Amino acid sequence: MSAFLAWVPFLQPMTVLGNGWWLLMVPLVFGVAVVHRAIQDPSMDGYWRRVLRLTVKANAVLGSLALAIYLFVYFVIPLLRAD
Amino acid sequence: MTQQSDSVDGPLNWFPALMGWVLPGLGQVLLGHRQRGFRAMGGILGMFLAGVLVGGVDCVDRREDALWFYAQAGAGPVAFAADWANSALLKTGKVGRLIPSPPPNPRLPPPQITSFKTVTMSNEIGTLFCFTAGLMNIVVILDALRRQPANPKGWSA
Repeated sequence: MSAFLAWVPFLQPMTVLGNGWWLLMVPLVFGVAVVHRAIQDPSMDGYWRRVLRLTVKANAVLGSLALAIYLFVYFVIPLLRAD
Repeated sequence: MTQQSDSVDGPLNWFPALMGWVLPGLGQVLLGHRQRGFRAMGGILGMFLAGVLVGGVDCVDRREDALWFYAQAGAGPVAFAADWANSALLKTGKVGRLIPSPPPNPRLPPPQITSFKTVTMSNEIGTLFCFTAGLMNIVVILDALRRQPANPKGWSA
Protein backbone atom coordinates (compact mmCIF):
# COMPACT_ATOMS: atom_id res chain seq x y z
CA MET A 1 0.00 0.00 0.00
CA SER A 2 2.82 2.41 0.91
CA ALA A 3 4.50 1.69 -2.44
CA PHE A 4 1.27 2.64 -4.20
CA LEU A 5 0.94 5.91 -2.26
CA ALA A 6 4.53 6.91 -3.09
CA TRP A 7 4.04 6.22 -6.81
CA VAL A 8 3.94 9.24 -9.16
CA PRO A 9 1.78 8.21 -12.18
CA PHE A 10 3.34 8.67 -15.64
CA LEU A 11 6.71 9.60 -14.14
CA GLN A 12 7.61 6.51 -12.13
CA PRO A 13 7.16 2.87 -13.16
CA MET A 14 4.25 1.09 -11.49
CA THR A 15 6.29 -0.99 -9.03
CA VAL A 16 3.15 -2.01 -7.14
CA LEU A 17 2.58 -4.74 -9.75
CA GLY A 18 5.28 -6.90 -8.20
CA ASN A 19 5.20 -10.46 -9.54
CA GLY A 20 1.87 -9.82 -11.27
CA TRP A 21 3.51 -7.98 -14.18
CA TRP A 22 2.70 -10.82 -16.58
CA LEU A 23 -1.03 -10.10 -16.16
CA LEU A 24 -0.45 -6.98 -18.29
CA MET A 25 -0.46 -9.40 -21.24
CA VAL A 26 -4.29 -9.20 -21.10
CA PRO A 27 -4.67 -5.42 -21.70
CA LEU A 28 -1.85 -5.50 -24.27
CA VAL A 29 -3.59 -8.20 -26.29
CA PHE A 30 -6.91 -6.39 -25.87
CA GLY A 31 -5.37 -3.20 -27.34
CA VAL A 32 -3.97 -5.11 -30.30
CA ALA A 33 -7.37 -6.78 -30.85
CA VAL A 34 -9.20 -3.42 -30.77
CA VAL A 35 -6.94 -2.00 -33.50
CA HIS A 36 -6.72 -5.21 -35.55
CA ARG A 37 -10.49 -5.69 -35.68
CA ALA A 38 -11.07 -1.99 -36.44
CA ILE A 39 -9.11 -2.19 -39.69
CA GLN A 40 -9.60 -5.82 -40.71
CA ASP A 41 -13.34 -6.45 -40.35
CA PRO A 42 -15.47 -5.69 -43.43
CA SER A 43 -18.33 -4.57 -41.16
CA MET A 44 -18.43 -3.00 -37.70
CA ASP A 45 -21.46 -5.09 -36.68
CA GLY A 46 -20.60 -7.32 -33.71
CA TYR A 47 -17.24 -5.56 -33.39
CA TRP A 48 -16.83 -5.83 -29.62
CA ARG A 49 -17.85 -9.50 -29.60
CA ARG A 50 -15.10 -10.25 -32.14
CA VAL A 51 -12.59 -8.15 -30.18
CA LEU A 52 -13.42 -10.13 -27.04
CA ARG A 53 -13.15 -13.44 -28.88
CA LEU A 54 -9.73 -12.52 -30.34
CA THR A 55 -8.52 -11.33 -26.91
CA VAL A 56 -9.58 -14.59 -25.25
CA LYS A 57 -8.08 -16.75 -28.02
CA ALA A 58 -4.75 -14.91 -28.13
CA ASN A 59 -4.42 -14.93 -24.34
CA ALA A 60 -5.26 -18.64 -24.24
CA VAL A 61 -2.56 -19.40 -26.83
CA LEU A 62 0.04 -17.23 -25.07
CA GLY A 63 -0.89 -18.74 -21.69
CA SER A 64 -0.61 -22.26 -23.10
CA LEU A 65 2.83 -21.51 -24.53
CA ALA A 66 3.93 -20.08 -21.18
CA LEU A 67 2.64 -23.18 -19.38
CA ALA A 68 4.39 -25.48 -21.85
CA ILE A 69 7.71 -23.64 -21.38
CA TYR A 70 7.25 -23.68 -17.59
CA LEU A 71 6.67 -27.45 -17.60
CA PHE A 72 9.65 -28.00 -19.90
CA VAL A 73 12.04 -25.90 -17.79
CA TYR A 74 10.96 -27.13 -14.36
CA PHE A 75 10.00 -30.77 -15.05
CA VAL A 76 11.53 -32.01 -18.30
CA ILE A 77 15.01 -30.46 -18.11
CA PRO A 78 15.69 -31.80 -14.56
CA LEU A 79 14.99 -35.31 -15.91
CA LEU A 80 17.74 -35.00 -18.52
CA ARG A 81 20.97 -36.74 -17.57
CA ALA A 82 23.99 -34.47 -17.42
CA ASP A 83 26.64 -37.12 -18.14
CA MET B 1 -10.14 -16.63 -48.31
CA THR B 2 -12.16 -13.47 -47.81
CA GLN B 3 -11.55 -10.21 -49.63
CA GLN B 4 -11.99 -6.89 -47.85
CA SER B 5 -14.91 -5.10 -49.44
CA ASP B 6 -13.64 -1.56 -48.98
CA SER B 7 -9.97 -1.94 -49.79
CA VAL B 8 -9.28 -1.99 -53.53
CA ASP B 9 -6.55 -1.06 -55.97
CA GLY B 10 -6.65 2.65 -56.72
CA PRO B 11 -4.84 5.89 -55.97
CA LEU B 12 -2.98 5.97 -52.68
CA ASN B 13 -4.39 8.29 -49.99
CA TRP B 14 -1.19 10.11 -49.03
CA PHE B 15 -2.75 12.97 -47.04
CA PRO B 16 -5.04 10.78 -44.88
CA ALA B 17 -2.07 8.45 -44.27
CA LEU B 18 0.05 11.41 -43.11
CA MET B 19 -2.79 12.59 -40.87
CA GLY B 20 -2.94 9.04 -39.50
CA TRP B 21 0.58 9.52 -38.19
CA VAL B 22 -0.24 12.93 -36.69
CA LEU B 23 -3.23 11.44 -34.85
CA PRO B 24 -3.72 7.66 -34.97
CA GLY B 25 -6.91 6.71 -36.81
CA LEU B 26 -7.46 10.19 -38.26
CA GLY B 27 -6.71 8.86 -41.76
CA GLN B 28 -9.69 6.50 -41.62
CA VAL B 29 -11.88 9.30 -40.19
CA LEU B 30 -10.94 11.61 -43.11
CA LEU B 31 -11.78 8.81 -45.53
CA GLY B 32 -15.27 8.60 -44.02
CA HIS B 33 -14.70 5.45 -41.96
CA ARG B 34 -15.39 7.22 -38.69
CA GLN B 35 -16.08 4.16 -36.53
CA ARG B 36 -12.94 2.36 -37.71
CA GLY B 37 -10.84 5.47 -37.20
CA PHE B 38 -12.06 6.28 -33.71
CA ARG B 39 -11.73 2.68 -32.58
CA ALA B 40 -8.19 2.42 -33.94
CA MET B 41 -7.42 5.78 -32.31
CA GLY B 42 -8.74 4.57 -28.95
CA GLY B 43 -6.77 1.33 -29.18
CA ILE B 44 -3.45 2.95 -30.13
CA LEU B 45 -3.60 5.94 -27.79
CA GLY B 46 -4.91 3.66 -25.02
CA MET B 47 -1.98 1.28 -25.46
CA PHE B 48 0.53 4.12 -25.58
CA LEU B 49 -0.86 5.87 -22.48
CA ALA B 50 -1.09 2.53 -20.66
CA GLY B 51 2.59 1.98 -21.47
CA VAL B 52 3.62 5.36 -20.07
CA LEU B 53 1.38 4.80 -17.03
CA VAL B 54 2.92 1.39 -16.31
CA GLY B 55 6.52 2.16 -17.22
CA GLY B 56 6.78 5.92 -16.68
CA VAL B 57 7.97 8.40 -19.31
CA ASP B 58 11.42 6.85 -19.05
CA CYS B 59 10.19 4.00 -21.26
CA VAL B 60 10.26 6.38 -24.26
CA ASP B 61 13.85 7.49 -24.76
CA ARG B 62 15.10 8.65 -28.16
CA ARG B 63 18.78 8.64 -27.18
CA GLU B 64 19.26 5.70 -24.81
CA ASP B 65 16.71 3.31 -26.35
CA ALA B 66 16.91 4.40 -29.99
CA LEU B 67 15.90 1.05 -31.50
CA TRP B 68 12.74 0.88 -29.36
CA PHE B 69 12.02 4.52 -30.18
CA TYR B 70 12.06 3.95 -33.96
CA ALA B 71 8.95 1.78 -33.58
CA GLN B 72 7.42 3.88 -30.77
CA ALA B 73 7.64 6.94 -33.05
CA GLY B 74 5.10 5.21 -35.30
CA ALA B 75 2.45 6.29 -32.77
CA GLY B 76 3.04 9.89 -33.84
CA PRO B 77 3.80 13.13 -32.00
CA VAL B 78 2.67 11.57 -28.72
CA ALA B 79 5.92 9.54 -28.72
CA PHE B 80 8.01 12.67 -29.24
CA ALA B 81 6.04 14.40 -26.44
CA ALA B 82 6.82 11.51 -24.07
CA ASP B 83 10.50 11.64 -25.07
CA TRP B 84 10.52 15.40 -24.49
CA ALA B 85 8.93 14.91 -21.05
CA ASN B 86 11.59 12.32 -20.24
CA SER B 87 14.40 14.66 -21.30
CA ALA B 88 12.95 17.87 -19.83
CA LEU B 89 11.62 16.53 -16.52
CA LEU B 90 13.55 13.44 -15.49
CA LYS B 91 16.98 13.87 -17.09
CA THR B 92 17.34 17.46 -15.94
CA GLY B 93 16.37 16.58 -12.36
CA LYS B 94 13.32 18.89 -12.35
CA VAL B 95 11.35 15.89 -11.08
CA GLY B 96 13.09 13.52 -8.70
CA ARG B 97 16.80 14.07 -8.17
CA LEU B 98 19.96 13.26 -10.09
CA ILE B 99 22.27 10.68 -8.56
CA PRO B 100 25.72 9.56 -9.76
CA SER B 101 25.91 6.12 -11.33
CA PRO B 102 29.01 3.95 -11.87
CA PRO B 103 30.90 5.32 -14.89
CA PRO B 104 31.46 3.00 -17.86
CA ASN B 105 35.03 4.34 -18.01
CA PRO B 106 36.75 4.97 -14.62
CA ARG B 107 38.62 7.97 -16.06
CA LEU B 108 35.35 9.74 -16.91
CA PRO B 109 33.20 11.55 -14.33
CA PRO B 110 30.23 9.46 -13.13
CA PRO B 111 27.11 10.11 -15.21
CA GLN B 112 24.06 11.52 -13.42
CA ILE B 113 20.83 9.56 -13.68
CA THR B 114 17.41 10.36 -12.31
CA SER B 115 16.27 8.67 -9.11
CA PHE B 116 13.06 7.75 -11.01
CA LYS B 117 14.96 5.45 -13.39
CA THR B 118 14.48 1.76 -12.65
CA VAL B 119 15.24 -1.59 -14.23
CA THR B 120 11.95 -3.17 -13.15
CA MET B 121 9.72 -5.37 -15.27
CA SER B 122 7.15 -2.55 -15.23
CA ASN B 123 9.54 -0.33 -17.15
CA GLU B 124 10.17 -3.05 -19.73
CA ILE B 125 6.46 -3.83 -20.11
CA GLY B 126 5.74 -0.10 -20.51
CA THR B 127 8.36 0.06 -23.27
CA LEU B 128 6.69 -2.93 -24.94
CA PHE B 129 3.21 -1.29 -24.75
CA CYS B 130 4.49 1.91 -26.43
CA PHE B 131 6.44 -0.17 -28.99
CA THR B 132 3.32 -2.19 -29.86
CA ALA B 133 1.22 0.99 -30.13
CA GLY B 134 3.74 2.43 -32.60
CA LEU B 135 3.81 -0.72 -34.73
CA MET B 136 0.01 -0.99 -34.75
CA ASN B 137 -0.25 2.62 -35.91
CA ILE B 138 2.07 1.85 -38.82
CA VAL B 139 -0.40 -0.90 -39.79
CA VAL B 140 -3.29 1.60 -39.46
CA ILE B 141 -1.40 4.16 -41.59
CA LEU B 142 -0.82 1.55 -44.31
CA ASP B 143 -4.53 0.71 -44.16
CA ALA B 144 -5.43 4.40 -44.59
CA LEU B 145 -3.07 4.58 -47.56
CA ARG B 146 -4.96 1.85 -49.44
CA ARG B 147 -8.52 2.10 -48.12
CA GLN B 148 -11.22 3.27 -50.50
CA PRO B 149 -13.04 6.41 -49.25
CA ALA B 150 -16.56 5.81 -47.91
CA ASN B 151 -17.75 8.66 -50.12
CA PRO B 152 -17.16 7.75 -53.81
CA LYS B 153 -16.21 11.40 -54.52
CA GLY B 154 -13.12 11.01 -52.37
CA TRP B 155 -11.94 11.93 -48.92
CA SER B 156 -12.74 15.28 -47.31
CA ALA B 157 -10.94 17.22 -44.58
